[in-house]
This record gives sequence, C-alpha cells and structure tokens, in this order.
Amino acid sequence: MAEIEFTHVTKVYGGETPAVRDLNLKVGEGEFVVLVGPSGCGKTTALRMVAGLEEITDGEIRIGDRVVNDLAPRERDIAMVFQNYALYPHKTVYENLAFGLRMRKVPKDEQRRRVEEIAGKLGLADMLGRRPAQLSGGQRQRVAMGRAIVREPEAFLMDEPLSNLDAKLRVQMRAEIARIQKALEVTTLYVTHDQVEAMTMGDRVAVMRDGVLQQVDTPQRLYDAPVNLFVASFVGSPPMNLFEATVEADGSQLVFGETRLDLGSRSLRDYSGRRIVVGIRPEEVREASGWDGARVRGRILLVEALGSEQLVHIEIAATPLERADLVDAAAQPPGPSLGVEDLERSVTLLGRFDRHLLLTPGEAVEVAIDARLLHFFDLETGAALPAANVQAVAGVAG
Amino acid sequence: MSAVAVTRPRSRKRLRKAGWNALALLVLAVMVFPVYWMVTTAFKPGHDILSYTPQFFPTHPVLSNFTDAVHQQFFWNAVKNSLIVTSVVVVLSLVLAFLAALALAKFSFYGRKPFIVVILGVQMVPLAALIIPLYIMMSRLHEVDKLSGVIVMYLTFALPFAVWTLRGFLLGVPKELEESAMVDGATRFGAFVRILLPLLGPGLVATSIFAFILAWNEFIIAYVFLHTPEKQTLMVWLASFTTLRGTDWGPLMAGATLCALPVIIFFLLVQRKIAFGLTAGAVKG
Repeated sequence: MAEIEFTHVTKVYGGETPAVRDLNLKVGEGEFVVLVGPSGCGKTTALRMVAGLEEITDGEIRIGDRVVNDLAPRERDIAMVFQNYALYPHKTVYENLAFGLRMRKVPKDEQRRRVEEIAGKLGLADMLGRRPAQLSGGQRQRVAMGRAIVREPEAFLMDEPLSNLDAKLRVQMRAEIARIQKALEVTTLYVTHDQVEAMTMGDRVAVMRDGVLQQVDTPQRLYDAPVNLFVASFVGSPPMNLFEATVEADGSQLVFGETRLDLGSRSLRDYSGRRIVVGIRPEEVREASGWDGARVRGRILLVEALGSEQLVHIEIAATPLERADLVDAAAQPPGPSLGVEDLERSVTLLGRFDRHLLLTPGEAVEVAIDARLLHFFDLETGAALPAANVQAVAGVAG
Repeated sequence: MSAVAVTRPRSRKRLRKAGWNALALLVLAVMVFPVYWMVTTAFKPGHDILSYTPQFFPTHPVLSNFTDAVHQQFFWNAVKNSLIVTSVVVVLSLVLAFLAALALAKFSFYGRKPFIVVILGVQMVPLAALIIPLYIMMSRLHEVDKLSGVIVMYLTFALPFAVWTLRGFLLGVPKELEESAMVDGATRFGAFVRILLPLLGPGLVATSIFAFILAWNEFIIAYVFLHTPEKQTLMVWLASFTTLRGTDWGPLMAGATLCALPVIIFFLLVQRKIAFGLTAGAVKG
C-alpha cells in the first residue's frame, strides 16, 4: 500500500488550455478518494497521469516514496480498471486474470493459486475457461476488477468502471467495490461523473471543474459546506435550489420577491445593499405548518411521487440565478414557468416533502425557510459566504 | 376473402425471393462455367477438345495434357520464379504494410491525413497508364528482366491496399487493451506482441491472401518486364502455349489448372484464421 500525491500537476495538450491545472491532491494509504466532475473536467486525465498513460506537463506525482513522472506504466506497480473493462478478447478469463502475474514473472503455481482464490471470491470460478465474449456485462466487470486485485498492487486506479452497467447492477457493484476496497485496504483513486457514486463510495471526494480542483472533503462536508456555487450545484440529487436575493437593513435581512427574511445571527454586513446567491437544499424546503422560519408563499407546479417521499416543484417570487457559468450545467433548475402573470420573476423551488402530505398542482402553498439552513454565495465569484451550520440546526429542528 | 388478402403479399414475397435465387444461380453458373470448362478440357484428349459438338464431360479422361504441360520447356523454372516472387511479395507486403498501418492508426504525425488520402488515390490510377513510365524508370535502374524488379512492382500495387486494410483492423482494436497490458506489466513492445498482434490475425490473413493472389496471378507486368524465358513466371509461361501456329488447348488448360491449385491450397490453409469479430467482448457490456 502506498499513498498517491499530486503536487502542482498540470497537463496541457498541444498548447491549448490546460486539461488539468495546478492539481494538488493527496490520497492517503488505504484511502478511497473519488475524483468527480462533469465530462471534460480533467478527472480522467489526472488518473491517466498516475497510471503513466499520459505525460505530465508540469508538477510531480508520487506513489509511495517514488516520484513516478518518468516511470513507465509497468514500473509504477498500480492496477487500473478501465471504463470499457479492456479485457483481452483472445484470452480466457483465467489468462486475463493471470496476465499481470505472468508479466511480473510470478511462479506458475503461485499464479494458479492466486487466480483461483480471486475467482472464487468474485464468483468467477466456473468461468475461468470462458472468453470475455461469453460473459455478461456484470461478469466482465468482475473479471476487470479481479485482474486488478490479483496483482496486489500499491494502488487501484478506476476510470468510471460502472458506467457501462445497467442501473440495478451499478448499485450492486458500487457496494461490492467499496466492500472489496475496505477489505483489502488498497489506496484507491476512482474517477466518475456520477456524484451519487462519488458520495456513496468515497472516503473523500474531490470535485473538479475545467481542470481545476474545486474542493476535497468527506461526502458529508461537501454536501453541507460547499465552497462555491459549482460544488453546491453539482453535489446532491436533486440539486440545491439557487436564486438571487438582496441583502438589506445593514446585513440583517434578505429580500427576495415579497419575502423579507431575518438573518438573525448570520449577519451579512459586508454585503449590505448588494445582491447575493441564496441556496437551499430540497429537504430543507418545508411545508410551513409546524416549522420555524420565514413563510414564503408559492404555487405548486408539479408533484413527483417517489414512494418514500414526494418531490414538489413550487413556484415562488424571486429572481432566478442568471450566472449559468458559475453552476454545473446539468444541475440547472428548470426555468420559471411561462404564463404566470402575477409572479413577475419566479423561481421553481424543489422540495422533498413527506409522502403523507396531500398536494395538488395549481394549489397555493406556504413553505417555511429557515435562515440558518441557507447557503450564501457571492454573485460575482460564486464563492461561499460564511457557512451555514446545517448540522447544528438539523439537530435542533429534527 | 380475408384469407386471400393475407396470403397474397406472402406469396408475392416468396415469388420475389425465388426470382432472386434464380438470378443468383444464373450468376453462379456464368462464373463457374469457365472454371469447369478449364478443368474438364484439361482431361480431354485432343480430338474431343476440338470437336464441333461440345463435350460437357470428359468421357475418356486422359492425363496426357498434364504430362505435356509439365514437360513443356521452362515449366519448373516458371514454378520456381512464381514461388519466389509470390512469397517475397507476401512477406514483404505484410511486414511493410503492418508497420505503415501501425504508424497511421496509432501515431499522429504531420501529414498523416494527406498520406491516407494519397494511399487511396494511387489505387485509382489505371495500370495501363503506369506501365510504360514504370518500364522506363525500371530500365534506368537496370531492374528490367529481373525478378527483383517485378517484386518491387508488385509491392507498389499490393501495399496501398494492404496498408489500408490493416489500418482498419488496427483502428478496430481499442487502445485501452494495449494500455491495460502496459499497466499490467508489459512493455510497449510486449503489449504489441501479446495483445495487438493476435487480434490482428484476421487482418494479416486477409492481406496475405490479397498479396498472394495479386503476385501469383499477375500477367501484364510480368509479361512486359520479364523477357528471358528462364525468368518468366507461371502466368507468362502459360502464354507460351499460344504460338504462331495456333494454341495447344489441352496442355494450356492442364497448365492453367495446375496454376490455380496453389491459390486454392493457400486459401484453404489460411481461411480458418479469418475469424472476423475476434475483438468481441473486449470492451463494453
């Protein structure tokens, strides 16, 4: 086991804008770190640089005590699982699993012992004689995993290994990979574009955008205290509700639509008279009865029943966030609905409501918004303003 | 009524299918008949060959045509020459085309696109337009009437196709396979030999068949470039049965049958290796 460390790592392809910019990241021994971000954010490039499949333009990557910048992939003692598995089609499952051992001149008996052990653990024991074409998607995925495990490498690198599986199998393999990683305690760097995968699997999650690392933290911290609008909008499903508001009364009040919200202890004195971005997680948008906080009147647009709960789209009067460049494109909330004259500038709030509430589209509704649960962001830079102490409040409110 | 309405389109479909099948059989007959005629004529005695009522089956088969053909002057010379030319062309075109295709498929370099286009382009120039300038060029290089000259000529015609075909096969092998092998502990060359090469088998076979057929069956270039009887290839040797006094059909057909055999044998030997879709299962689920 070894740690992986990026120090000021930059990757530039042929003089264009860098794919990875000044990346500093440390994956501790036995730690599971997930690199996540929208496609083209540089996460795969970062991973491939660790594997040695991509040259490092600037900076330094260390695996254990060794700087690996100039080492060939085979000298780095890492194993990689590819998005498309990259099984050798002309070799049997056994040969696929044993390939890395053979390359490293492990004695034949030892090879056999290790391959059979892994095959047993992964439920591939009956398939050692088959070729990849004769396996199902899940089995191929397992062979790809097995090929990495059997080597007993210093670290695992995984490049979206689950994205070719169907939804159900993906959830199952997600848990299986996390379990295997915990059992083996192998340092793992895992790349995905799926924030749910990132949140559920990683000890820590590193969010990247346009080649720049945005934030590295535990999934919970990332969710509760995003450092900027991008992370706030990227992490969480359904995404955080975002809209603009004005800070008034010397920083003690927030005004949007007809609502005037007392900020209490969370004074925004420095932003008095300016516009900021307000964010609130769907589960913190509550039907007014029985909850503290400012009442905001709205109208129900749509109710999506999920069984355990319902997702409610509520239109309220507020100014939609127009800085699309600051948020994750995929997570942009639906635009204001047309044809509602009395709400000149409206925002659709997404709320997770208890399934027992009877709600019908078109109905007027009042939601409670607790100022202590709000996230604030600078409208210019997208940076988070003094963090909301969600944990503490949730404890009180719940 | 309804039954009629249902069966009518079906029977029409069946009729159409039968029509296509009949056409295919006709085309097959037209293609196969000359071959059949060649082989049967090879076994017919002279008077049967020249009789005005065509003999569709040799009623009194003889082998004399074959012995005549084999004992014809320069036969063994021609066999030797053809074998040399063909084997050298096959081997060289495989090696050169493979390396060229590798460069085109796996590396990016300045002028790659134009190069690919030119490879396709040169194949469109008709042979007849090239043969005189080529002859002049080769004679300046003192390569006329030499097997090496003919080999070079054949390579110029075999290579574009071979490079193009192999490039397609190489592009079909996902780059992750090599990368995975390299991460697993293979060198770049090792990944290439252990992973890429076995997957290219069908491509190499297809290319070698093409080169074999081209070099073995070529007539015009060999006829123009090789003057001395000792240096002629089999196809030119076959032409020697046609003389000023007429054509000796029996031995000619026997010779032609013998000449066709190696191609068929070579194809039968390697055709099992043409297992397209060998990369199935490498990637994706």
